Amino acid sequence: MKIRVKLRGTLPHKFPEYDHQQGLDIDIADEASVQDLLNHLQLTDSDKCAIAIDGRIAKAEQKLKGLTSVNIFQIAHGG
Amino acid sequence: MKFLKVDMSQKTVTLEDVKSDYAGLGGRGLTSTMINAEVPAECDPLGPDNKLIFAPGILSGTSAVNTSRISIGAKSPLTGGIKESNVGGTVATALGRLGIAAIIVDGQAAANELFLLKIDRSGEASLVPGDEYKGMRTYALVEKLLSTYGEKNGVLCIGPAGEFQLGSASIQASDVDGRPCRAAGRGGMGAVMGAKGLKAIVVELGAKNSEALTDPEAFKTASKAIVKAIKENPFTGQILPSAGTAALLGMVNGLGAFPTRNATAGQFEGADNISGEKLAEVITERGGKTTHVGCTQCIVKCSNEYVDKNGKFVTSSLEYETLWSMGGMLGIDDLDAIATLDFLADDIGLDSINAGVALGVAMDAGHKKFGDSQAAIDMMEEIAKGSEFGKILGNGPEAVGKHFNHHRVPAVKGQSIAAYDPRGMQGNGVTFATSPMGADHTAGNLVGEYLTGALNPLEAEGQIEASRNAQIAMAALDCTGFCLLAEPALAAPGATEAFIELLNAKLGTQMGIEDYTNMGIQTLKAEKEFNRKAGLTTKDDRLPKFFYEEALSPHNKVFSIKDEDLDSIFDF
Repeated sequence: MKIRVKLRGTLPHKFPEYDHQQGLDIDIADEASVQDLLNHLQLTDSDKCAIAIDGRIAKAEQKLKGLTSVNIFQIAHGG
Repeated sequence: MKFLKVDMSQKTVTLEDVKSDYAGLGGRGLTSTMINAEVPAECDPLGPDNKLIFAPGILSGTSAVNTSRISIGAKSPLTGGIKESNVGGTVATALGRLGIAAIIVDGQAAANELFLLKIDRSGEASLVPGDEYKGMRTYALVEKLLSTYGEKNGVLCIGPAGEFQLGSASIQASDVDGRPCRAAGRGGMGAVMGAKGLKAIVVELGAKNSEALTDPEAFKTASKAIVKAIKENPFTGQILPSAGTAALLGMVNGLGAFPTRNATAGQFEGADNISGEKLAEVITERGGKTTHVGCTQCIVKCSNEYVDKNGKFVTSSLEYETLWSMGGMLGIDDLDAIATLDFLADDIGLDSINAGVALGVAMDAGHKKFGDSQAAIDMMEEIAKGSEFGKILGNGPEAVGKHFNHHRVPAVKGQSIAAYDPRGMQGNGVTFATSPMGADHTAGNLVGEYLTGALNPLEAEGQIEASRNAQIAMAALDCTGFCLLAEPALAAPGATEAFIELLNAKLGTQMGIEDYTNMGIQTLKAEKEFNRKAGLTTKDDRLPKFFYEEALSPHNKVFSIKDEDLDSIFDF
């Protein structure tokens, strides 16, 4: 399935071709999970990523099926 | 260490040794302990009996990085309770190096009298007549002061809002570039300064550190560990230098907790136009600075310089809270307009959060349409003029709500919430409701807990405990002068221990983590005690009704923490 990924924080720096308006269009297996998407993008624990789906922080095993876009954030703290 | 005591009634300035009751205290711990002990709780916050206290943190003035916060405390004219508002810039370090633990401003000048407090690098201090500065906005004021006294001075000052003694009046601090763009915004401390008749404090920089460290070697070792932790932490080492606090906008909006159009929705459709990523893109294209040092000894560099299409300076630093209060809260998704509003807040001497929310309440009441950026700018100028309606706006959202007889006022104890809707982040609602400071995100922000998935932001479970722990941790941190935004780095293995070692090496103490935590608890206890004496009760520890009654999209949740649970938060 195709999914559009928007990257936040410093994550776009890892993808030189990244366009803030368009995001990244990814082809990924229909049964892919949040962790599969992170692996596909080669994002690791040290990137401190969080994915919000339907306004909630998704767990690593959560399936992406049915989604057309996701936002990947980096964990931040308030100030 | 010394106290610099300024009596505005007698026009005297005296230097005294710190009394043993206050030994080892700094920042918020010192301001709150002293206010609780010495300020009559029922006094008029704008009268002679209130004390305005400027206290650098315990570590301010040492060589440790990110220790340039100064706490400014008094009885608040906005909340009616105790207040501490802290700010960076250059003055905390300068005072710390002079061995000044606090400037305590007491009494009151006669109406229409205005003074400056000038402190030179040898610690000599005097009150100087300041009639020529009457009515000046902060940018022009600081330019004139630095031209008169020299560029190597730090300034704390008020603008017209402070002279008008408005509830949203801030005390502005000059940054390392000499711009009055850092704000001790919350609680109307600028109004207290204006009521005292004090327009500015000008402190010469560059004094040699007069206070020897108890254990310089241990201090040096601990300092290195803190630098390493800050540089290696992805948030303090990469995200903040790249996008600043604005990086939060996309995340909070994504979680449906971004109060939009006076908290009538939890997601803003224009968020991508004002996000941290967009801000960085615009600043970079125009030749501004996405990474900027605002405060002495800062290695996080979360500040920025926003410029217009011609590359001309507009404001510094455009932060998450203002992108919200002057952006999403007003339905404005135009970065140039928000930057102008941020500049006006600094220049007039206003808390950009309280002022923005006041404009939002006016728009919600139908005075102007959401999204009308020119109307927002005009309302800010109305405050600067000191017109009757301008004073209502400048006194904050509750005053505006009363004026329009409009009940949707997102404030606690008279002070507006910050950029996290309590229905979408329930624990932040607990902090807003119960903090002795009124609604204040810096009193105990749980957004990091939510983003890591450690706590579900929409459920009641765990929120009281998380808020309590965060409020204690922040109260302790605010004693030290260490920046809140560098604090997440202390989660690294050994970093908290190194931080406490800094305090021990400075003070000659043997504190452990428990003692450090206790510093936060004792500070909160003093604040709660003062508020109780001032007449505040548990009824004041509640969110406005509409947060309990109006469900917030997209999660359709109301604030669901029970009153008895709110009342149990400080059972210690």
